Amino acid sequence: MTFRVYFKSLVITAALALFGGGLFLYSGLYPMGADVEHNRFTYWLLETLRERSVARSADAIEVPPGLDSSEHLLSGGADYNDMCAGCHLKPGKTDSDFTLGLYPVPPNLTLAHDEHADADSGQIARRQFWIIKHGIKASGMPAWGPTHDDQRIWAMVAFLQRLPDLDPEQYQIITARGETNGSSHH
Amino acid sequence: MTIKRFNPIILLAALGLTLTVQAHSPKEHMTDAEQPNCKSMSNMDHTKMDTNDPVMQAMMKQCMKGMHPNESEQEEAQLDPQDDGKRSAEQHSEHQH
Repeated sequence: MTFRVYFKSLVITAALALFGGGLFLYSGLYPMGADVEHNRFTYWLLETLRERSVARSADAIEVPPGLDSSEHLLSGGADYNDMCAGCHLKPGKTDSDFTLGLYPVPPNLTLAHDEHADADSGQIARRQFWIIKHGIKASGMPAWGPTHDDQRIWAMVAFLQRLPDLDPEQYQIITARGETNGSSHH
Repeated sequence: MTIKRFNPIILLAALGLTLTVQAHSPKEHMTDAEQPNCKSMSNMDHTKMDTNDPVMQAMMKQCMKGMHPNESEQEEAQLDPQDDGKRSAEQHSEHQH
């Protein structure tokens, strides 16, 4: 008897929650503008969903040896400057139109972040590779995989490992695609 | 006869396909490419420069290309002797479930 009452209450509660959720969904009350932040619960929910999904998907990726080479830095640096710097910034810049307007705000990759401080360098590289290749839904981060092969993406990952160490002058030299006219050095 | 009529369409489609493939090649970005400002290297503290650091090697490669285009390949080989090994990295690809 007690069990029947308990079960009945459970079903009614679930049905009410479902109905209430549907009502809220169709009411259009949730603010979708990028200039209004999520509440803390929604933010936590979406962030946890994203981080767990990326971690699971990136877990089996094999990091190629010798990422820290000048060739990778040159290739990845030029691509970063063309494709990423507008949102993820370059040394000496603190914001851009994209960082001010996008929500969630794209991470500033010129700074050494400690939010993944507990992860080893392999985990960080795998995570970055997966995100660059597949993108992140509804965040403004595109998937570069359809237009860039793994080699170019790994070069970008290699560049990201050194980006926080670069000053604006070093960044400019490494990421420039054009050739020097021989007017300097020594 | 019918095939001849469709020739321009096939040619246009082939051209479109070729342009799509080239759209994201590094060469596409070369049209308005910025030149490396190598003058800033001369202002850097040379005593703190580590020639074994890939960042320094990358900068030197960038700036040598313009100065000694014929010698740059030899210099690159001297600067980065492990590159052959490192190029094996390029063969790696993603392994997923």
